[in-house]
Amino acid sequence: MRNSFRAAAGLGLMLSMTAAAQAGGDAARGEARFQDCAACHKLEAGSNDVGPSLHGIFERKAGTLADFRYSPAMKRSGISWTPETLDKFITEPQAMVPANRMPYAGMANPDDRADLIAYLQKTSK
Amino acid sequence: MTTKLREVDVVIVGLGWTGGILAKELAESGLKVVALERGAPRTSENDYSLPNIRDELRYVVRHDLMQNTARDTLTVRNNPTQEALPMRRLGSFLPGEVVGGSGVHWSGHTWRWTDMEFKIRSNYEERYGKKFIPDDMTIQDWGITYAELEPYYEKFEYTAAVSGKAGNINGKIQAGGNPFEAPRAREYPLPPLTPILASEMFSDAARNAGYHPFPRPSANASQPYTNPDGSKFGGCQYCGYCQRFGCEANAKGSPHMTVIPIVMRNSNFELRTHSWVTRVVKDNDGKRVTGVTYTNVLNGEEFEQPATMVLLCAYAINNVHLMLLSGIGTPYDPVAQKGVIGKNYCYQTGAGATLFFEGKYFNPFMSAGGSNATIDDFNINWEFDRGPHNFVGAYNVNGGFNTALPIGYRPVPSGTPQWGSEWKRATAKWYQTAMTIGASGSVMSNRYNCYDLDPTYRNAFGQPLMRMTFDYKANEHRMGTHAAQVINDIAKSMNPTKLNPAVARTNPWTVVPYQSTHNTGGTIMGTNPGDSALNKYLQSWDCHNLFVVGANVFPHNASYNPTGPVGALAYWTADAIKNRYVKNPGPLVAA
Repeated sequence: MRNSFRAAAGLGLMLSMTAAAQAGGDAARGEARFQDCAACHKLEAGSNDVGPSLHGIFERKAGTLADFRYSPAMKRSGISWTPETLDKFITEPQAMVPANRMPYAGMANPDDRADLIAYLQKTSK
Repeated sequence: MTTKLREVDVVIVGLGWTGGILAKELAESGLKVVALERGAPRTSENDYSLPNIRDELRYVVRHDLMQNTARDTLTVRNNPTQEALPMRRLGSFLPGEVVGGSGVHWSGHTWRWTDMEFKIRSNYEERYGKKFIPDDMTIQDWGITYAELEPYYEKFEYTAAVSGKAGNINGKIQAGGNPFEAPRAREYPLPPLTPILASEMFSDAARNAGYHPFPRPSANASQPYTNPDGSKFGGCQYCGYCQRFGCEANAKGSPHMTVIPIVMRNSNFELRTHSWVTRVVKDNDGKRVTGVTYTNVLNGEEFEQPATMVLLCAYAINNVHLMLLSGIGTPYDPVAQKGVIGKNYCYQTGAGATLFFEGKYFNPFMSAGGSNATIDDFNINWEFDRGPHNFVGAYNVNGGFNTALPIGYRPVPSGTPQWGSEWKRATAKWYQTAMTIGASGSVMSNRYNCYDLDPTYRNAFGQPLMRMTFDYKANEHRMGTHAAQVINDIAKSMNPTKLNPAVARTNPWTVVPYQSTHNTGGTIMGTNPGDSALNKYLQSWDCHNLFVVGANVFPHNASYNPTGPVGALAYWTADAIKNRYVKNPGPLVAA
């Protein structure tokens, strides 16, 4: 209950603050954007691959899954994953968390990121 | 003591590209398959993700993914008058030794060999007459056609996520692709990689010279991709650690992240790692094989694995070695020119120039396995008249980078001292400013280039080492000289500040510096048992339930990298086994 309440509140915040970037996020289109991630990240709980499982990503801090070997940079980052922080991170991962180990240059298009985040919000629970 | 295990339908020796493809296809058809891999189990998530990769010392200097020469190696010599000596450290070529084999550490260059190779003797005799081919050049037609292999090339390209631009779709020439390629039924699965500055400069110069540059097709996914089996690829990040490394982004088409994890989920399949196969066991009448013997290299335990069918899918050299050790087929004798096992060993040749441009920044640390441009004007272009130059074969020319290592890649102009403060100054000054133009050339088979068992040296299992007798012949010298001239003409037209010109390889071949892991021949395919070891389905002429798969089946070596036809032939053989052999076991071609 509490999670769904938070998600609803978060949605309201997004509409007012970052409407251009995220309000149009379309989870169906985001599934295609997830192709960028799928070679290394799974959505099932406990299923770490080259990258950590994305299950429950919006309910945890960065670098905190016990059974995944994170970079020191990611462990130290102190980021709490929210649609906003994830949007900033995947824009250019090395800019937000320098020396993190994700081999991904970034997703430049804000609409693509909004779609991807909408998809993750739906599927990572 | 050897423990005899329960019989299975198929035992596969070696789990790289060919073993992985055959394991998946045959297990899915319902056969019980066991694969024996000499190396360790390795996965992208545990072994090739950061920070475990990008380690030049571990992977390049200490050859972490390659054959352990303390256990088994080969002896080498240039000609039969010499005493062959063991190669105690890997050099000229790098056979893989992990789950995924050399398919883990390759660069991904994927070419379609054409009827120019498959009908080589017929082609040259028809155009130039029988006398054009030297007496000691043992080239022969392969017994297969491009048309037969075309769908299997495509299957491999779509499995391995090859990025490229078609040059000929169903006979229609496509702008931007290789106009000389044989017709393909459809486009590559992915568009070409983003060109780097060096390959763009090379392409411009080649175009100005009247040649036809195109992006080199490579199994480096230019964008995220899901292959027809559902294997997921990330997009290439141009990290620069391709050749000799596993891919940290799952962007390089490799068996360990495609066919192997799929067959691992199939209950018909079992993988045993650290399993070194020592022998293929023959039936009493010598007409069939009954399985293999192997040793667990972790504890020395010995096993016999009986099987209805044996598939040799190890590295090309090791496949031939196993045939010789097992006494299958008649060993080749270069003096009498009798026998077939060990015949037609071939390598590749090449020439390269380094160009230095003061003021340019090539960023050589950023590249993909296939971020080069290539011209085939002197390769599969049959309009190019070899007659005046008097050589059989071909070469392709490419410009760009592939794995310019931060420590090992130290381009400096000729004449720079090899160490000391002068060298340090030069390497700092020129590192960013250098690019290369190189040629990769074919090697025609020759009666004296061959394998046999060494009379002196033995491996850790007490078996004779493989002996390789190889040198470049006058044909290759002439071709290399032509290639060097073409390279230097293109290079000079680009007006570099300094140029280390290309020089043909005319000195005797040596096993010491790395050259290429493109060893071919030894158990060649052909049309009859008199001059080949295998029929066109890679089935042994001697034992019909034995198939030998890999570049060891090539009757000669082309200028192209071998993995395209190696992958295509694995799918081709899988179909022949599934659709024909299993229903009616016996020779698929009448001898």
